Amino acid sequence: MLPLPWPFDRDYMQYALLAGLVVGACAPLVGGFLVQRRMSLLGDGIGHVAFAGVAAGLLLNIWPVWTALAAAVIAALGIEWLRARGQTSGDLALALFFYGGIAAGAVIASRASAVGKPANVLPFLFGSILTVTPGDAIAVCVIGIAIVATVLIAGQAMLAVVMDEESARVAGLPVDALSAALAVLTAVTVVAAMRVVGLLLVAALLVLPIATARLLAKSFRGTLIFGSAVGVIAVVLGLAAARLWGLAPGGSIVLVAVLAFAVISAVRPMRTPPPSAHDH
Amino acid sequence: MTVGYGHGPVLDRVSLRVNRGEFVALVGPNGSGKSTLLRVLLGLLTPESGDVTLLGEHPGRLSNPGRLGYVPQRARFASDLPATVTEVVATGRLARHGWWRRPRDEDREAVTHAINAVDLGEFKDRRVGELSGGQQQRVMIAKALSSDPELLVLDEPVAGVDAESQRQFRDSVVHLIEQHNGAVLLVSHELGAVADDLDRVVVLKQRVVFDGTPAELRSRGVSLGVHAEDLPLWLEGLD
Repeated sequence: MLPLPWPFDRDYMQYALLAGLVVGACAPLVGGFLVQRRMSLLGDGIGHVAFAGVAAGLLLNIWPVWTALAAAVIAALGIEWLRARGQTSGDLALALFFYGGIAAGAVIASRASAVGKPANVLPFLFGSILTVTPGDAIAVCVIGIAIVATVLIAGQAMLAVVMDEESARVAGLPVDALSAALAVLTAVTVVAAMRVVGLLLVAALLVLPIATARLLAKSFRGTLIFGSAVGVIAVVLGLAAARLWGLAPGGSIVLVAVLAFAVISAVRPMRTPPPSAHDH
Repeated sequence: MTVGYGHGPVLDRVSLRVNRGEFVALVGPNGSGKSTLLRVLLGLLTPESGDVTLLGEHPGRLSNPGRLGYVPQRARFASDLPATVTEVVATGRLARHGWWRRPRDEDREAVTHAINAVDLGEFKDRRVGELSGGQQQRVMIAKALSSDPELLVLDEPVAGVDAESQRQFRDSVVHLIEQHNGAVLLVSHELGAVADDLDRVVVLKQRVVFDGTPAELRSRGVSLGVHAEDLPLWLEGLD
């Protein structure tokens, strides 16, 4: 145990802090690309399918994190497949998985309950960061390292793809592989964040810090760095508030992120809109 | 080549060649097949019949994609894109140095050179969403130029942009041809800014209905000069 000051003086708070910091810093790195691709709710759609995975794990006596990860990756690739082939619009593809996932989760969880399996899904829906074990914290750190490494290696190419897919294809970039990588990265982030804020709030950590960062940063790189900083601050303040007032940690973290956006929006000067096409 | 979408050919036995160092304009009325021809050339569409060779290779499978520069129709940037001019132009260089590699000094120099070539040096750290439409289009041209292309393909690059951006566009294209012996294929309804620099004008209407020099086109009573309305009116007459 590290000699950290209150409220992080206890073991369970330190594990929560470690997992929270990694998720808070890394989720916006993925969210920056999703927001630019107008897929802000992808994390939400994947989260709902991951809920079905959790329920399946409870029914089959498998660690729910594994089944959630499998369901999340399949959903992410499925949504990307539908979007890329123009079978349906991005938001309709999300809606299909969104409602299909939550419905499947409810049905499977009720079946698990009916056959006498423990089917307490609330910790997965709303997070259970205060019950994070050392093993969980290590798993989250590994996921965080994978996210940072991927963004460092492929971030510029991913930016090219989310800006203009057709030009990226002409430039010889592996657009399909990079899009699939972004989808899988989102799925992995969702499962990592599941313990921190819960599946119902998971998209908030992907998107809200980036929404705030876009108000401040002058560059895409700066947006990702600011977003990570906002995510980290939200986790620290949210956990402290949860300990101080006995609040739900996941909800507290997300509310701090919402508050950060509201405050920055209020105090930041308006950006001058760009002149029209005919102006110089 | 012949290309169709199931309702008859969009391009019918079209044959076209663009040589190194040549500046060719492709024009035609709406629905004449210009966009389809472009998509085939860029490797985004496969023709029903015929052969297409791009820089001696199969389109879409270039061993060095940086040899091809592409400027799509304007307004491709989301207005709230939080990326600087330099960041956007640098993505164009990925085609040359490989998307997985860290940029080297020569890559950074090429990006700076491309930004200066379109006279946007003072805006290099500005968010692209804060620039005017004409300036954004110059960013797209710089992005295409950053990979040192041997062939530059431009799809309506100056539609609706200001005179200064049209002049900058003309200068950067001429620079590519004269200094780097590159070839340029321009799809546009507005040829006024480059009328004096074109080597050939190709008019498309499912087939190639004209392929010759601007002087030959002028001899048919079509003027390409700045403010000239002859070309749009002539294209309308082809509908």
